[in-house]
Amino acid sequence: MTWKANRLALRQGSLFPLFASTIAGVVIMTPILVVMWRSFTSGKLGFTVGLHFDNYLRVFFDKDIWPMLSNSVIYAGGSALLGTGVGGLLAWIVARTNTPGKALVELMPLYPLLMPPIMKNIAWILLLAPKSGILNGMLDQFLGISHPVFNAFTMWGMIWTFGIACVPLGYLFLLPVFLSFDPSLEESAYIAGSRPVHTMLHITFPLAIPAFISAFVLNFLRALRSFETPVLQGTPGNIKVFVSRVYDSMALEFNTGLATSYSVVLVILSVITLYFYVRATRFSERYATITGKGYRVRVIDIGPWKYLTFAAVCLYFLVGIAIPFVVLIVVSIIPYFDYETFMTFPAHMGLNNYRTVLRHSSFINGLRNSVLLSVVIAMVTVLAAIVMAFTIHRTRAVGTKIFEFIGTLPLAFPPLVLSVGLVIIFIGTPLYNSLWALGLGLFVAYFPYAFRNASGAMVNIHKELDEAAWVHGAKWRHVFFKVTLPILKPAVGGALFYIFIEAIRNVDVAVLLTAPGLEYGPVTLFEYFRVGQWAEAAAGGVIYLIILIVAVSVAKFAFKMKFSL
Amino acid sequence: MQRTSGITMAVTLAASCLIGTALAAEKAPTKEAAKEAAKAPAAAVKKSGGQQVKSETSSAPATAKAAKAFAQVSAELYPKAKQEGNLVVYSVWDVEHLRVITEAFMKRYPGIKATFWQGRNPEIVTRALTEFQGGQASFDIVLSDNAPAVIRAAGAIMDYNTVQRDVLYLHDPNMATVSLQIQALAYNTKKIKPADLPKSWEEVASPKYKGMIALDDPMRAGPLSSMLSGLKTQWKDDARFNNFIRNLKALGVPVHKSTSAMFRLVIAGEYAICMPALLHDVMEEMHKGTPVGYVKTVPPVVFPRQAAIYAKAPNPNTAKLFAEWLISDEGQKTTDSIGRETSRNDFKSKTSIESAYGKSMKPVPVTDQQFLEDPKTWLDKFVKPIWEG
Repeated sequence: MTWKANRLALRQGSLFPLFASTIAGVVIMTPILVVMWRSFTSGKLGFTVGLHFDNYLRVFFDKDIWPMLSNSVIYAGGSALLGTGVGGLLAWIVARTNTPGKALVELMPLYPLLMPPIMKNIAWILLLAPKSGILNGMLDQFLGISHPVFNAFTMWGMIWTFGIACVPLGYLFLLPVFLSFDPSLEESAYIAGSRPVHTMLHITFPLAIPAFISAFVLNFLRALRSFETPVLQGTPGNIKVFVSRVYDSMALEFNTGLATSYSVVLVILSVITLYFYVRATRFSERYATITGKGYRVRVIDIGPWKYLTFAAVCLYFLVGIAIPFVVLIVVSIIPYFDYETFMTFPAHMGLNNYRTVLRHSSFINGLRNSVLLSVVIAMVTVLAAIVMAFTIHRTRAVGTKIFEFIGTLPLAFPPLVLSVGLVIIFIGTPLYNSLWALGLGLFVAYFPYAFRNASGAMVNIHKELDEAAWVHGAKWRHVFFKVTLPILKPAVGGALFYIFIEAIRNVDVAVLLTAPGLEYGPVTLFEYFRVGQWAEAAAGGVIYLIILIVAVSVAKFAFKMKFSL
Repeated sequence: MQRTSGITMAVTLAASCLIGTALAAEKAPTKEAAKEAAKAPAAAVKKSGGQQVKSETSSAPATAKAAKAFAQVSAELYPKAKQEGNLVVYSVWDVEHLRVITEAFMKRYPGIKATFWQGRNPEIVTRALTEFQGGQASFDIVLSDNAPAVIRAAGAIMDYNTVQRDVLYLHDPNMATVSLQIQALAYNTKKIKPADLPKSWEEVASPKYKGMIALDDPMRAGPLSSMLSGLKTQWKDDARFNNFIRNLKALGVPVHKSTSAMFRLVIAGEYAICMPALLHDVMEEMHKGTPVGYVKTVPPVVFPRQAAIYAKAPNPNTAKLFAEWLISDEGQKTTDSIGRETSRNDFKSKTSIESAYGKSMKPVPVTDQQFLEDPKTWLDKFVKPIWEG
């Protein structure tokens, strides 16, 4: 059976995607294996101590990690559920209902992606802080509720902030699924007398399960290793999460080996979540929404409910970006932030912070470098990820499920640990301190996003489409370029957009790989956040957001570019 | 299960080849570097004189002597530095500050091209030591606060004793102290009256301030832990030190891992008192009219910011020249112009201890070598048992 499958794979020319996926897999695994190896051989940075298991013994006998892990799972699970759930609901509203204002509604859930997570953290702290928060201040001033109702420094506050930031990813993953349904599935339900809501709950949503789990896994892992929200909101509320152990290993002990050993716990959690994903999608035909019978989007007339769905999209737009954005704009033009000064706006306003940011000579030069690199990396990463997903789901070669794991693995490693692996690989080669090394670093870091997106979307395409091509003697390249890629177009657009936006603001992976003298935009901009100059950071963030919003809108309306639709 | 993988094997084989190459690239110099690293810390500790505290003010002869010594060393090093032609700085300082500093240096010494890379302390230590282990002559000097001592403890710093040592407030015979990090007890002037403020660091731990204070996390290598280290050295009284930590813990107040975020929350009015804040941040905000102040009767904690020369520096003469120039009158003026505290005790600026606190103030210097080189071990030994006990 295995022999036959491999011969068939050979005949169909699917060795090329296998080969390409293997190369991508090697590029991804190399820095990971390098840091894993070091976790057995080195102690504190600068000291090689030979083969030992001390780091792992410390991790597995650390009595404090269980409460931390439990906090992490609650925080990551809650954020991922909120983000993916709301994202999925918005995707359904946009794709399948006759909600008015389509052109606007399509883009609204995407704009929050443009705002970097740390900006959201700062904005929500300013809004929800118990004593100085704007919302608690308003409740006190206008309704006489002096007891703080909201508290940013709680588990709920953390889940809210990070969960809201997870929505665009859920939206981007689920939108292509809702847009590319085999109408026969729903039509059969309607013919059988099912009402729209019933059809939606029993046919439409279950079919979106693979993409939902795929987005959930990604959001869960992102939250698990995220550091800004736990540091800014968790620590003051005495909520300790697991990732702080990884951070302390680097920041206090300067021990990458120990940090890697702690990351292995995250790897184990990733493997568990991926196991559930692979199990849930093992009969992928069940979830195929695009079949050989053709597909078209059937928009459901939801009657007057369409105004409610419109309001829901607007509400997300408000909490996802508009309110935090307005808060940051005000903070950037008032002399300092406290509730009283905030409420006296527009008195005392000034543009000093904008002058400071625009005078920052690295700002514009650095932005140019990062835009160029992000465009290239987004294209390469998405293409490689689709080839890998194609190899898993479409070729007959054996053992390809391993790529499911390899393609997601970098997400389990905190960026600094991952970039140490990359530094070790490149050190002493001409690639070190070059844009190539930085590009490869970004490729490894963002591959899981592109890959999970492509893998989730491919499960929804019935194999009969490319089987028809295989039967007619098509080689892999015909199937890939003429069948799979065109059908995946919406997902590809979304992934390109997402990785471009993430890569353009990456600091964590880029920082160790940036050469001295190279101006790299995000490092310059986010320096203001890092040194705590919130007003300047807000001004820089506002300029950055305006540039991106204009770029996205121009691309969408002037060039008819599709990001996901 | 039959699906044993040709692919898996291919991946594994290819990965091991690549890793083999990567590790080999690292391994060759590592053996040599490891030997050095293994030897160097012990040697470094032996040689280390640690931080030496000089008087708060300097005499005119000392100033003149330093100026003469600088002129001599500058004349001696510049031709060699010009031949080297380059300088690569790794630093935690803001990009804009580094730009001002390096441009002023290049203007003063034409023919030298200075570039920099900016990262946080853990990133600097990680990059510097990974490059050191890899045998890379990749940079010349580290300009930072926490990182130099840690890198030196791993044997990756070339000892250099500045010729201008007599005018430094804090002097380390192995690394030039070019600036100071000064920690102050800051407060929100709208939230607490001056009469109600604590008069000392110890008084902050009084129960009457419960709910008003935000603390930096004492279990990280940050301002509060360095303050604890400074106080422990100064008090020489373990019972008093332990009691202080116990009382701080009893307050049950929020701790922060980001000092700057904590300071912003004090400005916002979330807390009344910030323990501690950086003096240059407080001064800058006061200058803008923000309602913050600092308690002038509470002794500032002083932590060295150093320019440490990398053991494998490709341009060692330029690195020495840069360190000396930063301490010179011109270098200190440049440092002052970007709002950072200067390190000379004969240099008057708005953030110097004398201007901010008055002549009679006795600061708390952070000089404990064990804390500076290995904060984790120090904290585990002296703070953790009480704070987390």
